[in-house]
Amino acid sequence: MCDDLAVPATVLVVDDHASFRRFARKLLEAAGLTVVGEADDGASALAAAEELRPDVVLLDVLLPDTTGFEVARELATWPVRPLVVLTSSRSAADLGGLAGRDGADGFIPKSELTVAALAALVGEAA
Amino acid sequence: MRAVRVLLWLAGAALCARLLLAAKDEHHRPAGLTYLSTDKALLHYTVALLAITVGLVVWDRRPESLTGPLLTAASFAYVLSELDPLFHRSRLGLAVALVASPLVIALFAHVFLAYPTGRLGSRLERGFVASIYAFELAVALVYLLYYDPGSYVVGGIRVDCPQCGKAPLTNVGWHDLTGAGRVRDGLTIAVIAVAAVLVAAKLVRAAPGPRRVLLPFGLAALVLAAHGAVVFGLDLAGSSTDFWTSSTVFWSETVAVLAIPVALAAGVLWSRSSRSAVADLVVELEHSPPGSVRAALARTLGDPSLELGLWLPERRAFVDGDGRALELPAAGSGRAVTVLGPEDAPIAALVHDPALLEQRSLLDAAGAAARFALENERLQAELRLQLGEARSSRARIVRAGDEERRRLERDLHDGAQQRLLGLGLALQLARARLGTEADGAAELLAEAEAELRAALDELRELARGIHPAVLTEQGLSAALRSLAARSPVPVTIAEAPEGRLPGPVEAAAYFLVSEALANVAKYARASSVRVNVVRVDERVLVDVDDDGTGGADPSRGSGLRGLADRVHALDGELALESRPGHGTHLHAELPCA
Repeated sequence: MCDDLAVPATVLVVDDHASFRRFARKLLEAAGLTVVGEADDGASALAAAEELRPDVVLLDVLLPDTTGFEVARELATWPVRPLVVLTSSRSAADLGGLAGRDGADGFIPKSELTVAALAALVGEAA
Repeated sequence: MRAVRVLLWLAGAALCARLLLAAKDEHHRPAGLTYLSTDKALLHYTVALLAITVGLVVWDRRPESLTGPLLTAASFAYVLSELDPLFHRSRLGLAVALVASPLVIALFAHVFLAYPTGRLGSRLERGFVASIYAFELAVALVYLLYYDPGSYVVGGIRVDCPQCGKAPLTNVGWHDLTGAGRVRDGLTIAVIAVAAVLVAAKLVRAAPGPRRVLLPFGLAALVLAAHGAVVFGLDLAGSSTDFWTSSTVFWSETVAVLAIPVALAAGVLWSRSSRSAVADLVVELEHSPPGSVRAALARTLGDPSLELGLWLPERRAFVDGDGRALELPAAGSGRAVTVLGPEDAPIAALVHDPALLEQRSLLDAAGAAARFALENERLQAELRLQLGEARSSRARIVRAGDEERRRLERDLHDGAQQRLLGLGLALQLARARLGTEADGAAELLAEAEAELRAALDELRELARGIHPAVLTEQGLSAALRSLAARSPVPVTIAEAPEGRLPGPVEAAAYFLVSEALANVAKYARASSVRVNVVRVDERVLVDVDDDGTGGADPSRGSGLRGLADRVHALDGELALESRPGHGTHLHAELPCA
């Protein structure tokens, strides 16, 4: 029942809802990951990613100043880029589909967010 | 004011009577002059008094017009100019005659050019009339200073009148004014010609209705001008033009002066005869479509420039046929206003050529004839206005509703949904901490998680139904793709506009397709649905076609009824065709400027 990732990794959690960030941090840390930072909008997410160089960015799609898609597109242009996992309280269909959304490595609806699902995505990408 | 006019008339009558007596009395005449017969004198002063009378009557009947006072003044000047030969011994009589005589021309030119309002229309006319006054006063001054009635030429005869008075302002003795007289004659002919041209131009330019008013008086002006030009021309040529000695000049002048009252009377009669046009108006209004009252009135009154203002009591304002506010022109703007109906509750206002005021009875008759049509038109204008207001209020309500739904969806997303998601993560965490040996507690937690996920799904569904976030955030095309992805029946989106459309149009198109797809899934037993949304010019066309059983009843569901309301609120149209066995075809057109 232990959902540890294969490799210890550092994670940046980006979401404008503090309660989600708090629980996500606990969940990820319980699974052995290191949450190196939190950000509540697109601009501070990019700044934190630049500074902290996390292995994974867990990125909410709907942010107050931009969308997770935009942040992912920006991160994708970096020479050394983190793994980007989009998440949202809405389903992929409710977001108008994910087709043509460059830059992200995967999408997990928040209601289905488990360490296992995250591990599967990270493992796939790695 | 009426007392003044009565006194003026009495003075005019006394003056004419006195002059008539003087004409009969040999002692008043300079020696060597043969005067006209007593009959001619009687006729002449009767005509003169008639001209004065007509001036005063016009003044009385139309106090707001300056025509009456001007005509009275011109007629008086005409009579006073004759004090000179008959009262040649009186210095005062001579002075009055010398001033009045040239002013006759200026006053008549003024009254004719300013008819019917008594106000000169253009700057050209004002400048011209002012310069005639200046010219004629200069002539008067020259004669006051230098004219010597003691020795002058009348009808080719040199008259020596040792008992005659000297020039009234000086005693410089007489100067030979023959040269100055020729200059005056030449200039006067030019002035008369210009005045005649201006009057004729006014007649030509006038619209049919105003021309009907102007024509008789204008013709009288031209007759008088022709007479004046001939007399001054003869004088210039050295022929006899003396009124008393030349029979031709006498009759020509009598006819010309008589033309003025005759013209005014003819104008009144003519406008009475044009009342038959009102009968035509009644018939025309019977058969004309709503909104054509203005045109019909303009034709009847012969004034194409006529504007119609309909009174809206609620707004306490006049509006034109299209419901736009109509400002009534201020006094002195060159337009006249006739308000129809009672003063405190008017029906309509006519803005027209001021010449039509001369045909008061025609205006009143036409207004009365059009009253019901105008009442009708006014009600329609009111209705159109209210309809417009209802329509825009309906659109506002729909917009406000959409806004409210968007806010609700946002609140659900940011509030309850986020807390439940946090709760899910907490449960997951608790289950991981608990491990397996907790007496079935882990299973319980797993069940709670599943329950929570179901609740989240339902909540998401609810939020989407309230207002789809994808529509707000990404527009119609993405929202339609999301609808298609969730539909149990396969959906092809043939076309969807990629750019953003106005919010109400996007919402209407989205909910139309959403409701249609829900109905297809519920009733149609279709194997495929085709959705097509295109923007053509300033309309968005929405089509949803399925290959199901058809036979849908549009009155059945409240869903479609609500959608029709939404479409109509945008001034759009909705059509549903669903013959049994031929599928269901929904077509909507939404205006999208």
